[in-house]
Amino acid sequence: MDGGIMAEGSLDPLLKPKSIAVIGASREPSKWGYKVFHNIVSNGYKGKAYPVNPSASEIDGHECYPGVGAIPGDVDLAIIIVPAAAVLKVVDDCGAKNVRALCVITAGFGEVGPEGAALEEELKEKASSYHMRMLGPNTMGFLNNSISLNASIVPKMPPKGEISFITQSGALGLSLVDWAIGSSLGMSCVVSTGNKADVAEADLLDFFEHDEHTWTIAMYIEGLKDGRRFIEAAKKVKKAKLAIKAGASQAGARAAASHTGSLAGSDMVYDAAFRQCGVVRVEGVEEMFDAAMALSTQPRAMGNRVAIISNGGGAAIMASDACERRGMSVPPLTKHTKAGIARLLPAFASVKNPIDTVAKSDYDIYREALKVLLDDKDIDCIMVIYVHAGFTSAAEPAKAVIDTLLEKYPKPVVACWMGGKEASAVAGMFRKNRVPYYPVPERAAEALRSLITYNEYLREAKKR
Amino acid sequence: MMDELETKALLARYGIPVNEGRAARSAEEAAEGARHIGFPVVVKVLSDKIAHKSDLGLVVLNVCNPDGVRDAYEDIMEKARGPDPEARVAVEAMADPGVEVIVGAKRDPQFGPTVLFGLGGIFVEVFKDVSIRVAPVDRAMALDMMKEVKGFAILKGFRGKKGVDLEALAGIIVSTSRLMMEEDRVLELDMNPVMAYEEGAVAVDARALLKG
Repeated sequence: MDGGIMAEGSLDPLLKPKSIAVIGASREPSKWGYKVFHNIVSNGYKGKAYPVNPSASEIDGHECYPGVGAIPGDVDLAIIIVPAAAVLKVVDDCGAKNVRALCVITAGFGEVGPEGAALEEELKEKASSYHMRMLGPNTMGFLNNSISLNASIVPKMPPKGEISFITQSGALGLSLVDWAIGSSLGMSCVVSTGNKADVAEADLLDFFEHDEHTWTIAMYIEGLKDGRRFIEAAKKVKKAKLAIKAGASQAGARAAASHTGSLAGSDMVYDAAFRQCGVVRVEGVEEMFDAAMALSTQPRAMGNRVAIISNGGGAAIMASDACERRGMSVPPLTKHTKAGIARLLPAFASVKNPIDTVAKSDYDIYREALKVLLDDKDIDCIMVIYVHAGFTSAAEPAKAVIDTLLEKYPKPVVACWMGGKEASAVAGMFRKNRVPYYPVPERAAEALRSLITYNEYLREAKKR
Repeated sequence: MMDELETKALLARYGIPVNEGRAARSAEEAAEGARHIGFPVVVKVLSDKIAHKSDLGLVVLNVCNPDGVRDAYEDIMEKARGPDPEARVAVEAMADPGVEVIVGAKRDPQFGPTVLFGLGGIFVEVFKDVSIRVAPVDRAMALDMMKEVKGFAILKGFRGKKGVDLEALAGIIVSTSRLMMEEDRVLELDMNPVMAYEEGAVAVDARALLKG
């Protein structure tokens, strides 16, 4: 049972600490003990940060303390980066100092074998005896953009946003932060769970449900220690949840004695469990953040009827295929909508769904057509496509989309701008204005699918 | 593993309909059992070691008289003694033909009891067309599970063909979920097939894998 004993304590002292001690802080810039402390004090964190190291007098311009007990003020969170053999003693010191939460970056516990697992068990019990919630051990730390806290070994913070990410793989978490920075994707919190001796996904789901800065929760999961606790926690979360579940389970190792045994493989059970608690399962990182971008910015998709508008026929057909393959419908348009769009286009253009503007991408056409589709009660979602052919401006139709959505935004709209440099130059514009943007129609369709799946879950949950 | 009759007794305790069956240690006992149950009967090996009894030719269907039962007994025992010297024979009421479905359950190491539903025969063997839920499963969820399988049209009825009793199947799924929530010792459970009819459904073959 991960965290069963301590599950009641709030995670505020851990993830929103007012004061932090970094035990095992170092003056050596190549060491994690330096990096973590440096990242805390150099990213705008407003709380107090105390380096602890008996053999240093000052680190990064901050007075260094020989032990956590020597710190003059209260300490909410202790980040521990000392050798594994010294961790228990440090936790005792923290207990004596009334530290409220621990983040144990030190590795060499459950992940290295039975001896490590025994040490981890001792660590867990010790933390619990002092009523401290604990992240890790073997975590790469966390970051919380809402308080400008970077308590991790990632050098830079991603831009502020509404997506929080829980990751079982530390390295993957780090690379994603870097990726988020590169693609200016906003994030609120990133938490590396490490070995989950205490704090696990279930606790973090509960925290993020109550965190006003988080709108969408993304997870990378290799294995849950307690699937039932996860389901119970996830069911209570009404915010959109996405997960990548990676890795074959050790459960498959036992030879199945029955049909059910061989059919109900671990992966299918994860599928069922996620579905039962409203977690949208995605296959990969790109898909997860594509979906997260849509879920954290768009209104609810009330149904699966999609209208597609494009200045290129080929892209429109691909988009239409991509939507239908994912269970959405691209229905014929109503007379009224047809008439509204026909007046914008040359007489020879036939108006059907997907709408082909026959190479026109003027501001007015995109703006007026989008308005008509937003007003159509028989359309639930809209995909706006622009194919860059070189003789038109990629920014012009993008501006039309943004301006229209500033006025009204009753249904999800996703943008797909296809092309090279010029097309991707509008990415910043879209991101700033909360329009999810994708370079190919399949990714836009996948994002729509996640919106629809999420809405289906909300409906189901309401029925219960 | 729990043999078929023990498993069915457990199912019956949870209100799951099963066909009547009796164990026999001799040809005479088998024939006597068949007379009690009424013809036609099915004669099959009763063993907690043999898993794939049809594949080994250890099931004789539609036996209509006592001599037939005796012959079936001898035939089955001759083949079964090798794989399981303690094998016996079960004589059961021959179920009417219906739509074959599978209802199963498994204790997952991360999620605990899970319940599975699928259409029988090639649908499960070849297409693996099944749906799964983490227990507890209620009636609405059970109906969803049935709708989720690709072969649902067959259950619901198509081209003028009448459908099967979905409520009865939902009842079996819900009872299976309850059984798994209450019987910790059961690791895996198979009811394959459950015969589904226009009215009612009955588990005609079953086995369970127990802890330890």
